[in-house]
Formats: sequence, C-alpha cells, structure tokens
Amino acid sequence: MILRRAQYELAGRVVGPVLASLDGWRRRKRPPSGASRSSPFGPPLESVRKLKEIMTAHFFQARYADGAVPVAWVTSGFPVELLRPLGFHTVYPENHAAMCGVQRLVPGLSDAVEAQGYSRDLCSYARADLGSVITGRTPVGRLPRPDLLACCTNICQTVLYWYKALADHFRVPLVIVDTPYVYGKAEPHHVQYVRDQLEELVRVAERISGRRADPEALAEVARKAKEGTDLWAECLATGKTRPAPWTGIDGFFHMAPIVALRGTDVCNDYYRLLRDELRDRVARGIGGLREERHRLLWDNLPIWFAVREVATLLAERGFNFVCTSYTNAWAEAGARIDPRDLIASAADSYTHIILNQDLPNRLGILRRLSREYEVDGAVLHSDRSCKPYSIGQVDLKDRLASELGIRVLLLEADHSDPRAWSREQADNRLTAFMEGFA
Amino acid sequence: MSRNAYIARQREAHGRKAVAVLPIHHPKELLTALDLLAVEMWGPPGAPRGDGAGRIQAYVCSVVRNAMAFLCSGGADAVDGVLFPHTCDSIQGLATLVPDFGGWGKQAFTFLHPKGPERQSSRTYLDGELRSLARRLEAFTGRTLDAGRLAWAIRLHAEIDAARAGILDARSRLAAGDPELYALLRRGEWLWPEDHLAELRDFRKRFPDGAGRAGVPVLVSGYVPEPPSLLRTLNHAGAYVAADDFAAVGRRVVRTAPTAADPWEGLQQRYWAAPPCSTRSADPDARVNHLLGMLDRSGARGVILQVIKFCEPELFDVPLLRRAFAARGVPVLYLEGELEAELSGQTVTRIEAFVEMLAAGRAA
Repeated sequence: MILRRAQYELAGRVVGPVLASLDGWRRRKRPPSGASRSSPFGPPLESVRKLKEIMTAHFFQARYADGAVPVAWVTSGFPVELLRPLGFHTVYPENHAAMCGVQRLVPGLSDAVEAQGYSRDLCSYARADLGSVITGRTPVGRLPRPDLLACCTNICQTVLYWYKALADHFRVPLVIVDTPYVYGKAEPHHVQYVRDQLEELVRVAERISGRRADPEALAEVARKAKEGTDLWAECLATGKTRPAPWTGIDGFFHMAPIVALRGTDVCNDYYRLLRDELRDRVARGIGGLREERHRLLWDNLPIWFAVREVATLLAERGFNFVCTSYTNAWAEAGARIDPRDLIASAADSYTHIILNQDLPNRLGILRRLSREYEVDGAVLHSDRSCKPYSIGQVDLKDRLASELGIRVLLLEADHSDPRAWSREQADNRLTAFMEGFA
Repeated sequence: MSRNAYIARQREAHGRKAVAVLPIHHPKELLTALDLLAVEMWGPPGAPRGDGAGRIQAYVCSVVRNAMAFLCSGGADAVDGVLFPHTCDSIQGLATLVPDFGGWGKQAFTFLHPKGPERQSSRTYLDGELRSLARRLEAFTGRTLDAGRLAWAIRLHAEIDAARAGILDARSRLAAGDPELYALLRRGEWLWPEDHLAELRDFRKRFPDGAGRAGVPVLVSGYVPEPPSLLRTLNHAGAYVAADDFAAVGRRVVRTAPTAADPWEGLQQRYWAAPPCSTRSADPDARVNHLLGMLDRSGARGVILQVIKFCEPELFDVPLLRRAFAARGVPVLYLEGELEAELSGQTVTRIEAFVEMLAAGRAA
C-alpha cells in the first residue's frame, strides 16, 4: 500500500510531467510541416503544450491509482466536488471514450462488446468503455480498477445502464444520483431528492475511502470548482470578439480539465493560462482562423474522429465555430454552486444541467449563444449515440432558422463510432450548407 | 368496440375523462381513484400514422416515433390529456417536444418515477411525486382525491393483478391460445378496471384448469407483444408462452397485495413490489434471478428475447440475460423489431426453426 502510494505520487508529480515535457520537446523538434503554411487556421495556441502535459500526467498517474488511493469512475455530470475531499482519484469513462473516438479505436472496442451481445445501436461511448474494460485496450496505457462507480443521470439515462454493466463486471458499489428531468421549473421534492441522494453518496464514499468528509475541505473544493467553471466561461467568452481568437473545435479539446479535473488547482491554473493567452490574442487581433468570414454555432457533442476534417473543410472557406452548446454547458454548471452549502447547491446545480432541462430551455440557450456570439449559422450534430441531446433538433433547427434568420444544418453522425459516418455525404451537405452563405 | 367508441361511452355514461398514457410504469390507481380512464399508447404499432414521426430521428425507437406521429395527427384526440412516465431518454424528450413545440395542445402530465434500487431517498421522493401527480390530476378533473377512494382503487388493481397472475401462472393448463389470451390481457390497457376485472373472471370461467397444454413451453421477454402475429406464429409452430416477461404485461403484475393501512404507503408497496424491469433500472442479479425463477416454475425450454430496435434499457440487459440463460443451457432466440404491422417471413422462419429445435431436444 505504501509503495503503491509512493508510485502514485511519483507518477503524478514527477514522472508524468517529465514524460509529458519530453513528448512536447520531441514534437517541437519536428520540422514544421509544409501543410501548416497553407492551413486555414491561425497560429496554434501555446497553451496546448500545457494542456497535453497536465492530461498526460493525469492519465499517467491514474495507472498507479488503484491500491494507492480510492478510485471512482464517474459520469461527466457527476458532482465530483463531493469525492475530491475524500481523496478519490476520479476516472471519466466518457472522457476516455472520447479519446478512443479521436484515435478511431471505437470500432475494435465495439466489436468486442458486440460479440457479447451488446447492440451497435447503443451509445458508442458506452460500447468503447465496456470494450476497453473487456479487452484491456486503451490509449492511456491502463485504467485503474474502480472502488466506486458514481453515476448521475442528468446527462442521460444511458449512463445508468452502462454503469450497471460496469458494476456487474467489477462487482463494486454503484451510487446512482437520479436527477428528475426539469419540465419548466423543478419541483421542490425533485431537488430535495437529489440532495438526499448526495447525502447518501457521501456516506458511501466515506465508507469506501475510510475518511470523513470535512466541511471545510468540501467548501474549498466547491470554491475551486466554481472558480474553474467561471474561468472556463471567461475562456469561451473570448469567442465573442471578431475574429474569435480560437475555434469551437479547440474548445472541445481544451474542455478536458473542466470535465476531468474540476475542483483542483491544476484545472484553475490551466484556465488562467488559457484565458490570458486568448485575451492576448484578442488584443493582438489573432484569430482561430486566418480569415474568419462566417461565424457558426455547433450543437451537441463533437464528432471526435472527424472533428479536424469537419473543422478544416469549413475553415478553408472562412467558417469558424465560435461557440458550442456542449462546451458552454460546463461554463454554466458552476453558477448555482454555493461553497457555503455544497450539498444543497450541488443538488440544484446538477439538476439544472442543459440535458436535464426541457426543449424551451435548450432553445433559449441556443438563441442566447447565437445572439451573443453573433453567429450567421448553426450546425446541429444529430448524434446517433446521444438521444437526449438529439431529440428535438428537427424542431430546434426550424425555430432557430425562422426566429433568428440564420442558416441551420442538421448533420447526422455519431460522436465516436466512424462506422456511422459517411465522409462524402457529410462533405456534400456541409459544402451545400456553406454555398448558401454566398 | 373500438377504443374511441369505448372512450366516448365512458364519457357519456360515467362522465369520465380519458388520459392517454405512454409506456410503461405509472400509478394507474391514482387515475382510477379520480375516475380517469387510462388509455395506454404502445406506439401504436404499424407504420407511423402521420408526418410527425419525421420530427424525431430514425434512430429513435418506433414506440416514440409512432407516438409522436399519432399525437400530432390527431389520433389521440378522443382523450383529454396525456401522461408521460419517465421510462427512457426518448419518452422524456417526447414529453417536452410535443407539448412545448407543437403536436399536443391538451393537458400533458409527467410522472418521473425513481430509478435504481429502493432507498430512503427514493421512497421519500416517490411519495412526493405521487402526491404531486395526484394534485395535478385533481385540478384536471375538478375532483378531490379522498383516502377511501384511493384505498378502493388500490384494492381493485391488486385484485386485477391477482387475476392476471392466476391466468399467467396457469398457462400450461389453459386451453386458450396465446392470441386470445393476450388480447384479453392487453384490453386492460384501455378498459375501465372494473370492466377488465369482469372480463378476466369470465375468462377463467370459460377456461378452467384442464389437462396439460400441448406444445413447447417458452419464456418470452420483451417490451410489448407486437405484432400479434408473433403469438400466432409461435402457436402455429407448436410452442406457447408459458412465462411472460413483457414490459407491457408480466412486468406490471404485482404479486403481493399491499398491507399498509395508509393508501399512500400502499401505492409505495405496490410500486416497489413490481417485478424487476429494465426501465426502472432493476438490479441485474434481481432481474436474472426473477427470470430464472420464472423459467423453473413454468418449465419453459427456450427463451425468446423480443426487443424493440433502439430501446436502450432493454438492449443493455440483453448480454446479461444471454449469459444467464446460456449458463443454464437454455436456448435463446433474439428478435429485434420496430413495431411492424406483421412479422417478416425471415422472422417467422426463425421462430419456426427455434421451436423445431426445442421440440427435437425434447424428443432426444
């Protein structure tokens, strides 16, 4: 146990950062490719190096977490602020599945679970994660075995079934935080229910970690989490300027710390760095694209395996995704958090996640983003793997177009399974969409 | 009598309003106590009836797409309101799409039942949710829900469940065919409960326990027994449903009568005593044990898993059930459909081959 803990600390504090620095150094040594000279994108963000460093260190440390510290696998919308003060190392299977998506590993991982009877119609994040568990294949070297599975249904019901399957596999406790969907306004007993479950969660987590939840430590993590979401919101808000200093596609990658490291100094330090760099680019008129001619909104998860090709196709004609409803969700989550009463405010906050609220609320968010970021058009990713995000998009498309007078495209794909993607068809649709702006 | 004619007659003769109810789990006792006729809407099956289906992507299950089309096209105009239970992400989305963005202008209710195991938090929440729904229904009907009336409704539904359980458990001794039996059981989805109970009792008089039923007994698990030709094909091939785990049928038969004097506690008891269901996020071990128990008691020699395409709650349980039955050496036939009006020829052939295999196994 002591040796394992020493390995864990060493991996996180020394080896991980050194490896990440070496990797960064090797990349910098490579001669610049000719393609970059003709790239439609602006100069890359300097912060990317730091982002890679902290995420590499995070995943590297995770390899040594089990046996050293309690490990929790959590959903992206889980109130992780309650676990951090108890010393949990948190693993985000969705985050991991997104990495599998970027590296196009999902078909292979999915094949493994399909052979066990899982349908290809299920969420590709779930298939990738379960496939990784079964095969041991992962782009991060190794995922630590969980001591606790913590699942919050505010992003979808899918995670409930997915985590049940994980619990059945690992035979470890599963804590469910069931968040009743908000139609109009949340009823008091709905929020109270979430609050009661969070209190139950703390008791389970205390038992597993062997530690007591110190109110001051909880408040401190809550303060950091709130600050982190505010910093992330400041980063995103820089996209309101013309030209936007980065692209929404950059945002998809830079959101990793707010998802996986929320409530930590590492997360907040990173977003200060990123915010300052973005503000500097704004001051100097440096854009995410060399020439930003049209500004777009992206709705839903990214198409991880094709994110660069879609962005490039659009960027070549001066189209930039200056805002996305997905990255914005993590900027709004902290507004309701009150460090003085973490459990009550977390119950309120985590009940009111975008995906746990009705379509008029969603339309309101899309409308607001469209106006604040002054977009000319929107691409709604109709995501086969994410039904709660996708149901209603046909109507949202029509309403955005008629109310705001912008062009809107519904683009069907999947967030991480390339088998549900036809590049030619997508290129055709995107090209026709862009031609409409001429 | 058609559903619409029945709804009209209930309104005319008893002044009852009607509420369309989406699948699956809802406190029907509350509706009955407030003299509301519940008319369940499982799709309806067949091709979507109207263009509204196009407002939902084709990768969403047919139950939701068909319901969308049906509501938008006026198919449910005979009812006065619609209730959306919290079954899955898709029904959850439908419950905001139709009332908020057009397609359903009458009253819409939601019932967000808890997910996961029974816990203190979920018991407290369920009580709050039941009382909240009751208040909304009281305002809708203009009636006051009194405890005595609620207790009566709970007793009535417990009697219905006892009668349904009696019939399902006696399958191997009843001469009735599966299509006839399921037509009876599924009329409970829209008949006034007292009318349904009378039909169930009459059925038992017409079909008392008899000699053992010929054919291969099978366990069927799935969402809803659609299309009806599934049952005809099964019977024609020489098999019959000996054990039922359809979400629309067997998974809603509560086999323990509530003991609480307080009717609100009685509602809780009935909710938590219902058989394990994927859409309530049943514990995997509990679900497997329940199904293996059904298998043993019924003597079923094979299992048919009939899943609606894109139905996540059901699809996630499939590997678990396959493993459990495989470990017992029980053959499984997996069917996936989209509420088609008829079975495809390929599916009919697969069912026939499966039954032949089971029958041959018996002979061997």
